[in-house]
Amino acid sequence: MAAGRAGRWFLLPGLVFLFAIDLIPLAYSGWVSFYNWWLVRPRDVRFVGLANYARFADDPEFTRAVVVTTLFTVGAVLVEFLAGLGLALLFAQPIKFLRPIRVLLLLPLFVVPVVGATMWRVGVLNYYLGAVGLGPLPWLSDPRLALVSITLVDAWRTIPFMFLVMYAGLEVLPAELFEAAAVDGASRWQSFRHITVPLLTYIMLLAILIRGMDAFREFDIIFVLTGGGPGTATQTIQILNYRAFGLGHMGEANAIGIVTLIIVAVMCFVLMRAILRPQGARS
Amino acid sequence: MKPTRLRATLTGVALVPVLVWTLFPIYWITTASFKTELALYAKPPQWLFTPILDNYSRVLTNIPFFQYLKNSLVIAIGTTLGSLVLGTLAGYGFARFHFRASEAVRFLVLVTRMAPRMVLVVPYYLMMQRLGLLDTYTGLLVAYVSFALPFSIWLLIGFFVDVPLDVEEAAMIDGCSRLGVLLRIVIPIAAPGLVVAAIFAFLVSWNEFLFALILSGVEAKTLPVVIAGLNTDAGPLYGEMSAAAVMVMLPNIVMTLALQRYLVKGLTLGAVKG
Repeated sequence: MAAGRAGRWFLLPGLVFLFAIDLIPLAYSGWVSFYNWWLVRPRDVRFVGLANYARFADDPEFTRAVVVTTLFTVGAVLVEFLAGLGLALLFAQPIKFLRPIRVLLLLPLFVVPVVGATMWRVGVLNYYLGAVGLGPLPWLSDPRLALVSITLVDAWRTIPFMFLVMYAGLEVLPAELFEAAAVDGASRWQSFRHITVPLLTYIMLLAILIRGMDAFREFDIIFVLTGGGPGTATQTIQILNYRAFGLGHMGEANAIGIVTLIIVAVMCFVLMRAILRPQGARS
Repeated sequence: MKPTRLRATLTGVALVPVLVWTLFPIYWITTASFKTELALYAKPPQWLFTPILDNYSRVLTNIPFFQYLKNSLVIAIGTTLGSLVLGTLAGYGFARFHFRASEAVRFLVLVTRMAPRMVLVVPYYLMMQRLGLLDTYTGLLVAYVSFALPFSIWLLIGFFVDVPLDVEEAAMIDGCSRLGVLLRIVIPIAAPGLVVAAIFAFLVSWNEFLFALILSGVEAKTLPVVIAGLNTDAGPLYGEMSAAAVMVMLPNIVMTLALQRYLVKGLTLGAVKG
C-alpha cells in the first residue's frame, strides 16, 4: 500500500472544507456553553464554567429525555435494520418482476420529513380500525403509544435508507462465491451465514451507525407529530434543546447540544471499533 | 441458481404488505391534493371523488412557488456535485493511502456528522452573517455539502476498498497517473456507490428544514420551509399542503427514475468486475 505523500492531495480538499465548516461552529458552541447567556438580557453575559452542565445531574426532565431518546433510537434502528436487511435480501433474488418495483420502495425517502409526518395524521387507519372494533387508537395522545407511533413514522421514512445501502452492498458481492458454495453443497442459510454476513458486515454496521446517530438527533418528525407530548412522553433531548433555544437560553441550549454530541460520540466509537476490525483484517 | 416458481410466488405475496405500507401514505396524500375541503375530512374516508385542482391553483397563485422550486433545485444539485467531487477524492484517499493518523482522521470525519444540527445552526448563522452569506444559495449549499460529505466519504471508502488493486497497479504501470486511475478505473467500477452517494446528497439538501428555516429569509427560501409555513396557527391547510407536497415529490421521482437506468447499469458493471 502506498505511503501518505500523494494521498494528501486527495484528502486535503474534503477534510479542510469539512473541519472548517463543522468544527469551528462546534468549538464556538462549546465556548458558549460555559456562559450564562440569555438572549433577552444581552448585557448580562457571564462566564459560569460548568454550571450549565452541573444542572443536568439532578434534573429529572433531562434524565427522562435521555431515556426517551434511547428508547426511540434503539427501537427505531432495530426495526429499520431488520426490515431493511429483509427487503435487501428479498430484492437481491434473481427474480424478474423485482426490478421495476425496486424503485417504488425508495419513495418514502423523497417525501420531505415535515410532510411525511403530517400525512400520517389523516385518520384513515383509525376509521377502519374502528369499523372492525379495534379502535380508534389514541396514536398520539396516549403516552406509551405516542412513542410507538413516532417510531413507526420514522421507520416508514427510513427503512428505504437501510434497504438501499444494504442492497447496494449485496449487489457488489462476487456472484461466483455463491456459485462455488452452491457447487460445494452449501445450503441457502449456510451461504447467507458464512458468505453474505461476513462480507456485508462493514456495510451493515455503517448503515446502523449512520441511522443510529440520526435517530438520536431526530427532530422534524417528533416536532411535527407531538412536539414532545403528551406531557414529556416523547420529549427527546433534541426537543428539550429546542425549547431551551426557544426561550433564548443560549448557554444551556449549547450545553445540551454538547452533551448530545458526547453521548453520540461514545455510541459511535463503540460501533466504529466493530467496523474497523474486519476492515483492518482485509487490508 | 434459478429461483423456483414457488419462490417467486412467495416473494410476490410478501411484497403486497410491503408495498401497501410503503405506498399508501403517498397515495393518500396525492389523492388528498385533488380533494375539496369537505372530502378531505369525510367519514368514512372517500375513495372515489371528483378531482379538483383548487389546491394547486391556490398554492401556485398565493405564493411564488416556482422561485422556491428553483432555489431548492439549485441548492440540491450544487450539494450533490460538491459532495461527490470532495467525497470521491477523500474516499479514494482513505481507501488507498495509509498514514499514521489515518484512522483517527476518519473518525474525526464522522464526528463532524454527529454534531446535532441544533448546536451547529446558531454559530453557523453567526459565521454566515459575518461573511454576508445569509439568505444566499452559497450559505445553504456550503452547510449542506458539509452534511452530506461524511456519509459520501464513508460510503465510498467501502466501495473503493473493494476495487481490485492489481487492475489499478496495471494501469499505473501503463503510465496512468493516480488521478487518471481514479477517473478511468476506480470510478466506473464503484459507480453503484457513487449513485447511492449522489442520491443521498441530493436528499440531504432537498429535505433539510432547520438550517433552511434559520438561514434563508426570502431570497433563498427552500420548499420544506414553504410547506411547513402552510401549517399555520389556525391549523394546517391540508389541501394546499398536500398539493405542495406532491409537487415537491415530483422532481425527485423523475430524478430517481432517470437514475434508475444508470443504477442498474452500474450494478451489472459491478457484477462483471469480479
